[in-house]
Amino acid sequence: MRQSLLSFICFAVLLASLFGGCRREPDLNRIVIWHQMRVDERVILEDQMKQFMAANPGISVEAIYKETEELRSGFIVAAIAGQGPDLVYGPSDQVGPFEVMEIIEPLESFFEQEYLDKFIPKGLTYYNGHLYQIADKLGNHLTLVYNKNLLTTPPQTDEELIETGKKLTISKGGKIVQYGLCWNYTEPFFFIPFMTGFGGWVMTDDGVPTLDSQGTIDGLKFIQDLRDKYKIIPGEADYNIADALFKDGKSAMIINGDWSWAGYKKAGINIGVAPLPKIVSTGLWCAPMISPKGFSLNTNVPKGKRPLVISLLKFLMQPELQLQTAKQLNTMPTRVEAVNSHFVQNDDILRNSALQIERGRPMPVVPELRAIWDAMRPSYQAVLGGSKTPEQAARDMQALALRKIKELNE
Amino acid sequence: MNRLQHKFFIAFLVVPSFLILFAVVFYPFVYNVVISFSNMNLRHIKDWSIIGPQQYIKVFTEPTQPNFYVVFLKTIIWTVVNLTFHVVIGVFLALLLNQREVKGKPLFRTLLILPWAIPQYIVALTWRGMFNYEYGSINLIITKYLNLPAVEWLKSPTEAFIACILTNVWLGFPFMMVIALGALQSIPHELYEAADIDGASWWHKLKNITLPLIRPVMIPAITLGTVWTFNNLNIVWLVSNAGEPSDQTHILVSFVYKAAFNLYRYGYAAALSMVIFVILLGFSLVFMKKTKATEAAY
Repeated sequence: MRQSLLSFICFAVLLASLFGGCRREPDLNRIVIWHQMRVDERVILEDQMKQFMAANPGISVEAIYKETEELRSGFIVAAIAGQGPDLVYGPSDQVGPFEVMEIIEPLESFFEQEYLDKFIPKGLTYYNGHLYQIADKLGNHLTLVYNKNLLTTPPQTDEELIETGKKLTISKGGKIVQYGLCWNYTEPFFFIPFMTGFGGWVMTDDGVPTLDSQGTIDGLKFIQDLRDKYKIIPGEADYNIADALFKDGKSAMIINGDWSWAGYKKAGINIGVAPLPKIVSTGLWCAPMISPKGFSLNTNVPKGKRPLVISLLKFLMQPELQLQTAKQLNTMPTRVEAVNSHFVQNDDILRNSALQIERGRPMPVVPELRAIWDAMRPSYQAVLGGSKTPEQAARDMQALALRKIKELNE
Repeated sequence: MNRLQHKFFIAFLVVPSFLILFAVVFYPFVYNVVISFSNMNLRHIKDWSIIGPQQYIKVFTEPTQPNFYVVFLKTIIWTVVNLTFHVVIGVFLALLLNQREVKGKPLFRTLLILPWAIPQYIVALTWRGMFNYEYGSINLIITKYLNLPAVEWLKSPTEAFIACILTNVWLGFPFMMVIALGALQSIPHELYEAADIDGASWWHKLKNITLPLIRPVMIPAITLGTVWTFNNLNIVWLVSNAGEPSDQTHILVSFVYKAAFNLYRYGYAAALSMVIFVILLGFSLVFMKKTKATEAAY
């Protein structure tokens, strides 16, 4: 028995050492990108990669799609094990955890300051004094999208929003057949504009949550009123429901992000994009979170390969290519030259998008943001489900956020 | 072939499968055990160290929201209710399909297997849409044809949990049906003929022939079904949209998923997954022993 156990252990150790030697040697001529781009963005990326490969014979570039959460967890696991893609693409809030885990590389040493100056400042994500992400698109932000066939002038203030909403909410036979407004109620990301409109914000600069505030309470009350008092929004809506309502012409306005515009146009909706309204009582604009989406460099990329990877990054960041994407998808470029182009300056949707970006607040990149979302979600949903008061919700959000941040940093 | 050659031959046959098992089962399992005793998390992902059983203590004592014991109880309810419906509906349909008089059997069989053939992701999201308060087909049926008030399926914790169970019942019965049908078809027809001669009723035949003879096949299927259902992340996660409302629709496995990947608490999640493993191992051993599943039927 003992002998067989001993031989089993020897065998296992031998196998483990074999596996240890199985680490794949990096291919210096093959660049891998992991991204979470949606389908229409992917088509453009593939096209741009082909252009790069045509200009650089012998080099292959491969882009692999992963859903945002899967991308994060997958990249963490792969990078910790010394593997993973060369470039990882996503919204800027992933920079925080990746930096703490030391799995992405500071980028400032690879670029001349003169080159970096060609980007608008919001396109470059710095954390703890280092540049960790270079974005090709700015925004990822919520705006008021409206159906031009149903209303011509979008509301500028909360009062106008309620008035317009009332006019556009139509009942037939006791059943509402068209709503004035809708959005996704399940994600607190969509609550941020209301919170900021009433003077609230999620955390201090050093990551301490500030959720138990009058801004949170008033923002929640405002949403409750839209639904229960003015009855201009549906009783229940997640992302898909809100999206379908707007696409079917059953909602005149929707609060949704820049990622959704191309889809609405494709669905045949004559859309207009407007900045979110101003809250009259506070004099503040509803400010969504703004986050750039861009590329970070895996710390495991061998030193000899880095110049090649950076050359691809520079290629993808060319103003012409950014402009090509902007024209097709209405996304906001990050190169000054592209931002100042005739198209971006004169396109109605992009002009309003730029205005919304200007009024928005940058999404914090600290890892604590994850705990904030997790802490906000249950109470936000409970308020909309009618099982918590806004005051109680604000208190619970704060308490839960503090505990989750402690868990995160334990 | 001498003894040594014989041993080499055996090793030659066994080593490939052992290699695969080592890579995909033993190594990850041992690694998970090690991690469960460590402090691996966001701040200690590269420099983690062994800290003893603290993560296990946290699993049982930490005032998480929802609490471990509440989630555990929900998981048991989830598993028992699902499995009961899977087996009852599955065996019932198999008995119907096994009748000689039923015409168009292949068509019915195909239709009934459909839930199983559709990817779970699609099923979950379709059902989620069907449970919508205002536009979902379920509430439309309830209000229009049954004249009952609409149910807030996805807004209240109990209803949301019932919605997840309904989805999984629909998804899970075809497996039990296929297994039961296979078992039914292997029962020699002479047994029924003999029973008919003895004047046995339909119920007696079911109780004394059918059920005992499909048991050896059904018990492993139920054990498997229990483990699968207990660990079925997809349906709960997608139908309830990650535990909504307010994180109250979790079962243990979705709770682990959230702990590990939302807050990067790898040590804690590893300890919790070990607890789940022990629960399932204990259940399988006791269930298999009590039901004498490994004994022959004939």
